[in-house]
Amino acid sequence: MRAPETVADAGSPYLAPEFYDAVHASYRDDVDFYLRAAQAARGAVLEAACGTGRVLLPAHEAGVDIEGFDREPKMLEALKRKAADRGLTPRVYAADLREVSLSRRYALVTIPLRSFQHLLTTEDQLQALGRLRDHLEPGGTLLFNLFCPSWEFIQEHDGKPHPIRELLHPQTGLPVALYDTRRYDRVNQIVSIEREVVESDARGYAAQTQRHAFALRWTFRFEMELLLQAAGFERWQVSGGFDGRPFGNDSDEMVWTAWKA
Amino acid sequence: MTETLPSPYEAPEIYDLVLEPFRDDLPFWLEEARAAGGPVLEVACGTGRVLLHLLEHGVDADGLDLCPAMLERLAGKAQARGLEARVQRADMREFAAPRRYRRVFIAFNGFAHCETIADQLRCLRCCREHLEPGGAVVLHMSYPGMAYWLEPEGGRVLEMEVAHPVTGHPVRMYDTRQRDRAGQRQHSLTEVEELDAAGQVIRVHRFETSQRWVYRFELELLLRNAGFSRWQVLGGFDRRPLERDTDQLLAFGWRD
Repeated sequence: MRAPETVADAGSPYLAPEFYDAVHASYRDDVDFYLRAAQAARGAVLEAACGTGRVLLPAHEAGVDIEGFDREPKMLEALKRKAADRGLTPRVYAADLREVSLSRRYALVTIPLRSFQHLLTTEDQLQALGRLRDHLEPGGTLLFNLFCPSWEFIQEHDGKPHPIRELLHPQTGLPVALYDTRRYDRVNQIVSIEREVVESDARGYAAQTQRHAFALRWTFRFEMELLLQAAGFERWQVSGGFDGRPFGNDSDEMVWTAWKA
Repeated sequence: MTETLPSPYEAPEIYDLVLEPFRDDLPFWLEEARAAGGPVLEVACGTGRVLLHLLEHGVDADGLDLCPAMLERLAGKAQARGLEARVQRADMREFAAPRRYRRVFIAFNGFAHCETIADQLRCLRCCREHLEPGGAVVLHMSYPGMAYWLEPEGGRVLEMEVAHPVTGHPVRMYDTRQRDRAGQRQHSLTEVEELDAAGQVIRVHRFETSQRWVYRFELELLLRNAGFSRWQVLGGFDRRPLERDTDQLLAFGWRD
């Protein structure tokens, strides 16, 4: 049996995949949405930034012809372990969103869980959209979601630590609390997130605190349309949630569909 | 809002009463025009607040505007100042000028009147077609920052207070705004109040207008998608970098 993974060595949340899975275990909205889309696809599906297989494994298990890629080998190793436990052998590749180059073409390409927001510059965004479009068959669809921060949320959270989750460590069984401090660069549309992971000892005392840091870029609605246009997509639409509601002033999520002619 | 009020551009004398005194941007435009090393076109020149300033300083500048009343007032002001203004009535989305320019200017939120991506791109492409190789479009927009979006809805904001050029009594411009965050739009009820010596309101002029805001990367993408080869966005008339959402947007798009 492997030693319990500590988050100590994890500058990025993606270097501790099992802990990552525990943190995201309760978030299901997008899994069902992308699973349904994958099942409805008229051909092969490619999942960008598939991580530990949160979406890919259930889709594969449901009989969808789905492949995935991720830039973080540790996440893919975790995916393969989980797949092996379930007797599955999905095809996944180590690749960066901006450089992915596979031989196959797909009817549907997805980027779940806001992974597109790891791309911090317009150039990176366009490069990734171009690569993903190249992997679509004619008539194929790109499907992805982004958060859309409200100004009230930014004002309330900027620079202040907020508790985001409490859970039991998947390996030690001890309580862990997560706090995020977000700093918003409002003209560069980048939120820098410092995550404190406070692990308790068996007596319930805070035993050690680890820090992860990552940054996400947010994109406004018309800006996204211009990105899709610049990347060569012919048609697109946005909705304000996984239930298909219209995108409006109260939306905190953007769900984008873009078509290659 | 059930009634439809006139646009402020249908009452150029009231427009000038309040906005003619605004001069903060004039040194920037003059400096840009002088550095251009060739003719300048001002798109949406209105009553000539910027254009006449350029002409007065010897710049070879033409102008265009959609609104005949604004251009008429511009012509009157030019004559009074002994200037010869070459202006035409034209839509910023599809104009045709007989010559090519080193710079095309769109000052003072004029670009906010392009309210859809299609209109924004038509306007920028048309500006680009009128540039000599090496020339640039330069546009100034207010940045729609957090404080702006968080202003209480429906509040009446004092935008400007100036002294009446003849009577010296106060003239106040108020804006009551409806903001559409997802659509990046603002609809304004603008009220210009003229006061007497005792501070009583003696006249009120009411107008309606709508504007579309742009963010920084969005503006860069508009320039890219309109065919410009290079672009840069600055944060103020003093050419400081854009760092805060209380800065201004000054965007340059070059045709190489």
